Amino acid sequence: MASFISRLPLGAIPLVLLVIAWEITARAGVYSVALFPTPTEVANVFLKEWPLLWKHTQASLARVAFGVSVAFVTAVPIGLLIGRYKTLDRLMDWTIQIFRCFPGIALIPLAIMFFGIGDRPAIILIWLAAFWPIVISTIFGVKNVERTLLAVARAAKAPDSLVLRDILLPSALPSILTGFRLAAGAGWLTVVTAEMMAVKSGLGYMILYAQMIFRPDQIVAGIIVIGTIGLLFDQLIRMMRTYFCSWQEGLVLEA
Amino acid sequence: MSFIDVNGVTKVYRRRAEEVHALDNVALQAEFGEFICLLGVSGCGKSTLLQILSGLEPATAGTVTINGQPLAGPHADASVVFQEHGLFPWMSARTNIAFNLKARGVPAAKRQQISDDLIKVVGLSGFENKYPHELSGGMRQRVGIARALTTSPKILLMDEPFGALDAQTRGIMQAELLRVWALHKATVVFVTHSIDEAVFLADRIVIMTPRPGRIRKIIPVDLPRPRDPTTPEFNEHMRLVLNEIHDDISRLATR
Ligand SMILES: Nc1ncnc2c1ncn2[C@@H]1O[C@H](COP(=O)(O)OP(=O)(O)OP(=O)(O)O)[C@@H](O)[C@H]1O
Ligand SMILES: [Mg+2]
Repeated sequence: MASFISRLPLGAIPLVLLVIAWEITARAGVYSVALFPTPTEVANVFLKEWPLLWKHTQASLARVAFGVSVAFVTAVPIGLLIGRYKTLDRLMDWTIQIFRCFPGIALIPLAIMFFGIGDRPAIILIWLAAFWPIVISTIFGVKNVERTLLAVARAAKAPDSLVLRDILLPSALPSILTGFRLAAGAGWLTVVTAEMMAVKSGLGYMILYAQMIFRPDQIVAGIIVIGTIGLLFDQLIRMMRTYFCSWQEGLVLEA
Repeated sequence: MSFIDVNGVTKVYRRRAEEVHALDNVALQAEFGEFICLLGVSGCGKSTLLQILSGLEPATAGTVTINGQPLAGPHADASVVFQEHGLFPWMSARTNIAFNLKARGVPAAKRQQISDDLIKVVGLSGFENKYPHELSGGMRQRVGIARALTTSPKILLMDEPFGALDAQTRGIMQAELLRVWALHKATVVFVTHSIDEAVFLADRIVIMTPRPGRIRKIIPVDLPRPRDPTTPEFNEHMRLVLNEIHDDISRLATR
């Protein structure tokens, strides 16, 4: 019985309640039906206009996947080096603290001025948004390595390359993946925002366009897709974490 | 000239305005193949002396020579077994054991062969692919000892390696260590604060006094191995050692 309950997707309950509340509100006719679509109308968008939704979803996904991947491969090595070498850390600390505070939205006008309208400004903004969480969590992970392990390496005269690859990287991996999770979230938020201004495709663009042609049902459908993909990202990265950090079992509590 | 020669070693830890006088003018000689136990109350500088011998901490004054060569940094013929075993949680037992060889750039095939041999020597067959969190405390210590032995060290430095084990496992591990030591001749410097452990293991027991750490007395143990802790001779040695450190214990107790 207990195991049956623990396996139920409890997380779905609030969402189902939300849809029910939505249906009731829509039927009560508090708002004009033209402004406030019913769940059925939105479901129809998914059924009848799926090609349109899918096209824009693909465009957004491709940008995020590309931007966040580039952020990952650039941020992890940089984070490892900064975490490892004190001087580099002192050199970069202020810069990181300043840059990580820039909201992606504030940079959109600059990005458009520099790179025009299109994929380039969007991807660069995603890269920027995803870069900082990964760098910071990598540095944090490296600095939290158990000191005895570094003493083991020093006593064995291990070269720096081995320390970085075989000790600091795996030791920081749980923290890196936490950063990756934040980065995917930040990248996903950024793509939607950027698409409202800097590109003519993607879910952000679709939503803005739906406003202009007065299709609130499309707007809500777009928002649902955005939320669902955010959830999928999160679940995916959690699974990666469980897979790659199984050695942590019994060492730490589930995150 | 002795194999290991510690001459007038003094260690002062400085942290901001604070100074801790950890070792004062310590002199100690050890011959090749000798088993030395460092014994003393908590905080008397045993670990500090071991760290200096391992080349991980510099001495404030004085010299350590090994085979006539002054020690500067970790010695190629020395291996350290750390108190908290210092195993890499993301590596299997086998990979952990092979780490010191990898640090020296030994090719994979050779690493595998040497570590497989040592897995048998320390009795870990069947557990070589387990991760540290899947091993018992005694097994983890065996992994740490096996790793230290892979490089055929002439000097084995051990800091309370069995401190975290229950009395029974501890007894087994002590016997195992002596068996392995008989196979791989090396000078062992073994830190402990257990008197019976010291009398069971050592050729000579070096008794230290605290703050600042000095050598109070060196007691040779000329009992044949394997030693039986129930014999009168064994107890006589226990009594000798206890008398020496009694003053320190009572001084700590009345403080
Ligand atoms: N890195 C350090 N910085 C400052 N003080 C230190 C440091 N390491 C040790 N000390 C101090 O030096 C003294 C000796 O410490 P040490 O660890 O060598 O003692 P020990 O004999 O190994 O004790 P224990 O049996 O508890 O392990 C202690 O007073 C300790 O506080
Ligand atoms: Mg100690």
